[in-house]
Amino acid sequence: MSTGILTGRKLGLVLCEACRLLSRPIDIDEPGHCPRCGNELSLRRKNAIQRTWALILAAAICYIPANILPVLNTITTVSTDDDTIIDGVILLYKTGSWPLALIVLIASVVIPLAKLFALSYLLLSVQHRTAVGRHERVRLYRLVEIVGRWSMLDVFVDTFTVALIQLQPLMSVKPGPGVIFFAAVVVLTMIAAQTFDPRLIWDAGEDKEGPDD
Amino acid sequence: MTEEKDLTNVPQAAAVPKKRRRLSVVWIIPILAAVVALGIAVERFLSQGPTITIVFKAAEGIEAGKTFLKYKDVNIGQVTKVKLSEDFTKVVVTAKIDKSAEGLIVKDAKFWVEQPRVTLSGISGIGTLLSGNFIALEVGKSDEKRRDFIGLEVPPAITLDQPGRQFVLHADELGSVGLGSPLYYRRLNVGQVIGYDLAEDGRSVTIKVFVNAPYDKYVTAATRFWQASGIDVTMGANGLTVQTQSVLSVLIGGIAFETPPTSQEMKPAAAKTAFPLFGSRTAAVAKHELIVASYVLYFNESLRGLSVGAPVTYLGLPVGEVTAIGFEYNEATDRIRPRVDIAVYPARFAAYVKKSAVLDEKNLGEKKRHSVIQKMVDHGIRAQLRSGSILTGQMYVAFDRFPNAPKAKVDWTKEPPELPVMPGGLQELENKITSILAKIDKVPFEAIGEDLKKLLATTDQLMSRIDGEIVPELKTSMEGLRRVLENTDATLVGKDAPAQQELREALQEIARAARAIRVLTDYLERNPEALIRGKTQEKP
Repeated sequence: MSTGILTGRKLGLVLCEACRLLSRPIDIDEPGHCPRCGNELSLRRKNAIQRTWALILAAAICYIPANILPVLNTITTVSTDDDTIIDGVILLYKTGSWPLALIVLIASVVIPLAKLFALSYLLLSVQHRTAVGRHERVRLYRLVEIVGRWSMLDVFVDTFTVALIQLQPLMSVKPGPGVIFFAAVVVLTMIAAQTFDPRLIWDAGEDKEGPDD
Repeated sequence: MTEEKDLTNVPQAAAVPKKRRRLSVVWIIPILAAVVALGIAVERFLSQGPTITIVFKAAEGIEAGKTFLKYKDVNIGQVTKVKLSEDFTKVVVTAKIDKSAEGLIVKDAKFWVEQPRVTLSGISGIGTLLSGNFIALEVGKSDEKRRDFIGLEVPPAITLDQPGRQFVLHADELGSVGLGSPLYYRRLNVGQVIGYDLAEDGRSVTIKVFVNAPYDKYVTAATRFWQASGIDVTMGANGLTVQTQSVLSVLIGGIAFETPPTSQEMKPAAAKTAFPLFGSRTAAVAKHELIVASYVLYFNESLRGLSVGAPVTYLGLPVGEVTAIGFEYNEATDRIRPRVDIAVYPARFAAYVKKSAVLDEKNLGEKKRHSVIQKMVDHGIRAQLRSGSILTGQMYVAFDRFPNAPKAKVDWTKEPPELPVMPGGLQELENKITSILAKIDKVPFEAIGEDLKKLLATTDQLMSRIDGEIVPELKTSMEGLRRVLENTDATLVGKDAPAQQELREALQEIARAARAIRVLTDYLERNPEALIRGKTQEKP
């Protein structure tokens, strides 16, 4: 069905991703640099699959300490509390504000995890060159990209709280090491979503010339 | 496919030397992430201090994740778990100790729950009202590690690094002494009771006291400790004695100590030296007699009012005390007699002799003492039971001089030797009354009665004679007397009695004479010259 569609690749042309200049690559595998802006040309993002995998893996590694280590360290005269993300969710739920708990849970726990799974799924499907559900997969990719920029909400709230609640000696809040890992997860997944080349989705099942990574 | 012309206008890409990497640099990122995460995990694992369990009877105010372990008010760990023991009788508290404080968790470390405590001797742990209860720790001396502990119910009264010394007191009973009870030296609070325990055999109590530096140097081997608990009211032969140490000790009890001024031992006693704990200051001070001579007395009278501890006096001064009272069965005579054991402190007889002399006497031994006592007995010194106070009826044993006492000899072969006695004051009185009664008994009341009867009989005869002979005569004489009186009456008192007639006439005569005199005096008043010239004739 889509075999008849012309692609730059088929025509031996490449579009500079920076200045959008259409040029002829030196070689299909090594397209060289853009003659206008000097940006490195690529028919497909270079090593996209490998890079994305690496970033996903890094994000997955960071995801564990992000959830185990405390993100907030609340010091009161009576006690000091180390709260992980899940602790915060439980606390919110117990104090009755379950909608808030749900938001935090989705934003901080479910979405990063879902992003990791979604990107992994996209990569796997690209590597297996399946043509099934390409439109859905592209939609999924867009969703991952959009959601990505909202994931820092947690870190934002965390830093806000730390900055605001400094009622020494009665109470003070310090950031925990978990927040760094959490931020790393968010950043890494965002980059991973960027490095992933959605064009690969359409390459699958198109011809034999797939990504060679 | 597409037009060739167009393509010629497309510029040719520039060739750049090939720099192909087999493995993308991007893999550094996950490796870095893994290294950091692993590093944190390793660091966490390594910095993790020991986890210990402490068993408490109750976990008041202890909460997992909120209660800290503190040493010198520094956090050294946190309680991670609180649960009941398997038999539900105790609370097992699991705590994580910081790596840095690992050295504190040794075999003889002590843990207790620090909470506000209000006792009569003070208030402690006020800070925990704000901060919540915490588990406090006192470090031990051991180097051996230990991970399971039994928590103390009350904080130790003193900490290991507090200067001072600990002593052990042995007492018959605890009295009103408790943990933290003050220790007094010259009414100065110099320490406290840090623990007590029943002796192994259950027959006495061991009390641990701590004397703070620098007062601990006043505790020497000769120091006496006594219970200064509450009010010590003694009602003995010496009368009523009330002793207290301080208002606080009246309320919560306490222990006082004192070193007898006569003591020459000035070297401070070593730590953990054991001392006896006396019931009262009197007992504590009285006991420092080095030489104690025991004697036995057999009184033939009631011992009511005599108690153990009653004083033994010599010429009114205390020289010893009664140590035992009981009966003695004499097999030879098959009789039971009361027996009084006394302890005499010979040193008291020589109080003003030089100290060396007292010691000499101690060394000389009993021989010298025996001869002295025999001499005293020869001089009539006897033991006697006396009433110390009419109010209480308490008795004491007095040695006094009785010049008329029968001669006696002390048998030194017996142990303890018996000293001769003299019936006591009451006994003496009783004896006197008995002798009076005996004398009365000797009076021949029957013979006296017989005589009296005879006397009465003769009196009776006499009376009957009087009745028969004298009374009729008396009657006639009485009649005669009456007649005389009647006559007299007629002569003197009757209306026509001649005596009365004559008396009347005589009186009239006197009246007339009086009138004449008045006329005369009247005339004389008017004519006084008449006395010289006589009555003048009336002139014609």
